[in-house]
Amino acid sequence: MEIHAREKDNIIIFDIEGEIRRSDVSDVTLHQLVKDQLDVGKRNFLLNFKNVEFIDSFGVGEILASYISTHNLGGKLKIAKISKKLYLVFQVTMLTKVLEIFDEEEVALNSFLGD
Amino acid sequence: MAENGIQSVFSRFIKIKPNELKISFLLFFYLFLVIAAYNVVKPIRNASFLEELGYQRLPLVYLLTAGLIGFVVTIHAKIQVKISRYSLIMCSILFFFITCVVFRFFSGSGWKGFPVIFWVWANIFIIVLNTQFWIAVNGILNPREFKRQSGFFISGGILGGFIGGVLAGYLARENVDYNLLFLSAVLLSGAALFVHLIFRTQKGERPVERIRKKMRSEDKAGTASRPGFRDCYNTVKKHSYLRFIATIVALTLVVSTLIDFQWNIVVKESREGDLTSFFGYFNAGLMVFAFLLSILMTSNLFERYGIRLPLLIYPVVLLLCFLGIGVAATLVMAIIIKGSDKSLSYSINRSARELLFIPVSPEQKYKAIVFIDMFVDRFSKGLGAVVLMIILSFGIQDYREIIRVVSLVSVVLILAWIVSTLSASREYINSIKQKLSPFRKRADRVFEDELDVSYAKLIFDTLESKGRSSDLYAMHLFDLMKHGKLTPELRKLLAAGPEEPEAVSFGTFFEADHSALIRPSSEISNDHSLIKEIQDIMSLDIYETVIKDYLEKALSGKGPKAEMERMIVAKGIGFLAPDSPLVAVLDELLLDDSAEVRKYAIESASKLGKRGHVPALIQSLNDFPNQRDASAALESYGTRITGILADYLFDSEENIGLRRAVASILANIGNQEAADFILWELDTDKREMDKELIDALDRMRAEKQTIKYSDRILKKKLREEIMGYYRDYISFAEAESKGTETELCRTLSLGMSKSMMNIFKLLGLIYPREDIVKAYQDIQTGTKDSIAYAVELLDNTLEKEIRNAVLPILEELSQEDRVKACKALQKDFPEFE
Repeated sequence: MEIHAREKDNIIIFDIEGEIRRSDVSDVTLHQLVKDQLDVGKRNFLLNFKNVEFIDSFGVGEILASYISTHNLGGKLKIAKISKKLYLVFQVTMLTKVLEIFDEEEVALNSFLGD
Repeated sequence: MAENGIQSVFSRFIKIKPNELKISFLLFFYLFLVIAAYNVVKPIRNASFLEELGYQRLPLVYLLTAGLIGFVVTIHAKIQVKISRYSLIMCSILFFFITCVVFRFFSGSGWKGFPVIFWVWANIFIIVLNTQFWIAVNGILNPREFKRQSGFFISGGILGGFIGGVLAGYLARENVDYNLLFLSAVLLSGAALFVHLIFRTQKGERPVERIRKKMRSEDKAGTASRPGFRDCYNTVKKHSYLRFIATIVALTLVVSTLIDFQWNIVVKESREGDLTSFFGYFNAGLMVFAFLLSILMTSNLFERYGIRLPLLIYPVVLLLCFLGIGVAATLVMAIIIKGSDKSLSYSINRSARELLFIPVSPEQKYKAIVFIDMFVDRFSKGLGAVVLMIILSFGIQDYREIIRVVSLVSVVLILAWIVSTLSASREYINSIKQKLSPFRKRADRVFEDELDVSYAKLIFDTLESKGRSSDLYAMHLFDLMKHGKLTPELRKLLAAGPEEPEAVSFGTFFEADHSALIRPSSEISNDHSLIKEIQDIMSLDIYETVIKDYLEKALSGKGPKAEMERMIVAKGIGFLAPDSPLVAVLDELLLDDSAEVRKYAIESASKLGKRGHVPALIQSLNDFPNQRDASAALESYGTRITGILADYLFDSEENIGLRRAVASILANIGNQEAADFILWELDTDKREMDKELIDALDRMRAEKQTIKYSDRILKKKLREEIMGYYRDYISFAEAESKGTETELCRTLSLGMSKSMMNIFKLLGLIYPREDIVKAYQDIQTGTKDSIAYAVELLDNTLEKEIRNAVLPILEELSQEDRVKACKALQKDFPEFE
């Protein structure tokens, strides 16, 4: 898994590539990267799953942990371009009620401005 | 008045119903005239042979008859498939009528072979006409009618034998008086008249006609077996039941031949000079005794004891007699054994033996009757003669010793006879069962066997949610996936929308609301890893933390949107692990104001299977829209909750609808404990739930044969139901006679239908269920024959006390007779042990 961060309109966009699975854990995890950004005062995050091939429950746990950490500091974490399968998982687990999920990056970014 | 007097005599002593008197009398006179005609011919036959050729040549004609009978069977078998029974019998009578006259005219020819031909002809005369009488009876009467009437019309044959013999004795003017053949011809023409009247009373095509047509068409197609001796023999050989009957007939006649031999020896050794007179008086007395036995005892024995005892009386009595005569070869013993042999043979045994043929299918019956009553009958007499010749070949001099050896051989044969009889009487019941309609399963079983109800409901819920909420829709899809039911055909169905009639992809999978913009993909499948992932996610501590707030908000909202959220929550909870703390939310959702929310909550509770939810689920049985779902949810708990359910079942303060539903759930759980609980409730004197409890037990019995039921409780309840039926019937008859109480009649009629159903369900718990259900189904169809066979099966299956209580409800009786029977049984109701 590789995670590249970029910033646009004070929103940190994490472009995630590859597979997020338990067995591939390294020192740099998504949650750690989010926490690092929170430490420097960033509060708005967008996770881009366009190039994510696979995600397991560990990966979802990372998303949720990132969400909590952000939410607890008054920030917002949103998600864009997840696969149909992952969306189904979020629907079944009722996470669509908690996480904001968007099909396009632009729409997602605009939603931060609306907030 | 005279007619009523005759009817009451017949119904009281002879058990024949008023509407059966006509056919009974016709058969009585038919057999009377045939046997009378033969008993005029028989003395001429004997006198002619002994006068012309002497007794030394008797074995010749015995063997000749036995040998020729095979040809007679062949010819008869070929003819009987080509013409109707009526034509067959009338042509046979005409043949013997003509040959009587021909023999009369050729009697003075002086030809040495004439007595031999005449002897053989006379034997074929009685074999053919007697067999045809039984063929006619088999086509007319069902087993119940036969049991009631056979004793009476067989007594006609006995009387005919007596009268024929007396007429021959009185009217003979010469040593060999062939003029009496004219008398025989006149008696035969009388028999023809009665045959005509009998067949005129029978309307519609009879089974043998249909078989005849079928065989003709098979013949054209080249697929029929050729009718004849071999075909008749093969028919008997292939079917164990028919083999048992043939064995019984063969053993009967061999033993009878041995008895006749013993009889003649003892009489010759005991009496001097007045043998003719002695035989004459003995035969006359024998006929009277046999007549009374037949007319008074036969139908009563059948009524009380079914078929087995009437079949067994004959061999058992003879067994005792042989033991007696083997010890003391006296004239008294000889009279007893000979008298028993002939009187039982002519009367009770004949009826019982012919009854065995009644339930055989027409395709086999007529061939079997011809083979057994013609060939086996004569062949066995010959066989008896061979046995005697073997015994005599040992050169025993003392007649008492000969008697002892013959008795010993006879005892062995009788034991084989008894075994065959027991086997035949068992097979008789199987034959009756085959006459009943095919077994129909309970409708709820058919429904459950053919249709996956929960799957069907899930599809409907999925389709319905598609337009309401994409989250709920996704959950339903996941559910389908989890159960491996997301088939390609279902995907097509789900993907198609009104604006896309040609849609074949999974394209519109997530288009329920505007924020869900997921594109069609072939990723989604019945994916075990997906299922595992979701389970893993929902078991994360962090998931519980994230989702908890949302759940609390969802539960507190008001309005249609909030209701939808609660539906989603109720559904989603079902995917959690049972030990998740989030599951506690379900307690509130099970009591939600919205029926739809409760429905999903019930569904989730079922998936989770937590005992804590059981009381709420049981109370949901009162929740009309969700009662079935609650029942299904409770059933899914299985045997873990039978105790809890039983508490509700026994609680008479609980809502009756709920208790009835609980009984049904226990039935579906279907273990021994559940059955015991239901029986204990049935054992109480409260009757408010009897129908549901009995139905529950019936359902359990339909599913599992291994569950045991307390006979005591079932019989107690059976007794109550039958007595309830009697009470209702008597009241119904009284109300109907007034003509004004239509509403009361309707209520009572409904009550009787319910009682009848309960009675049969209870019987199905005590006796083999399939037999009882088939009998009930046939009784419901209501045709005369279907009821008769059903009642006959019950007559042979039920214990005596239960039979005596149940059959008056089922037999074809007039209202007046049934009321009398009900009142009599009310006074003296049998105890069911």
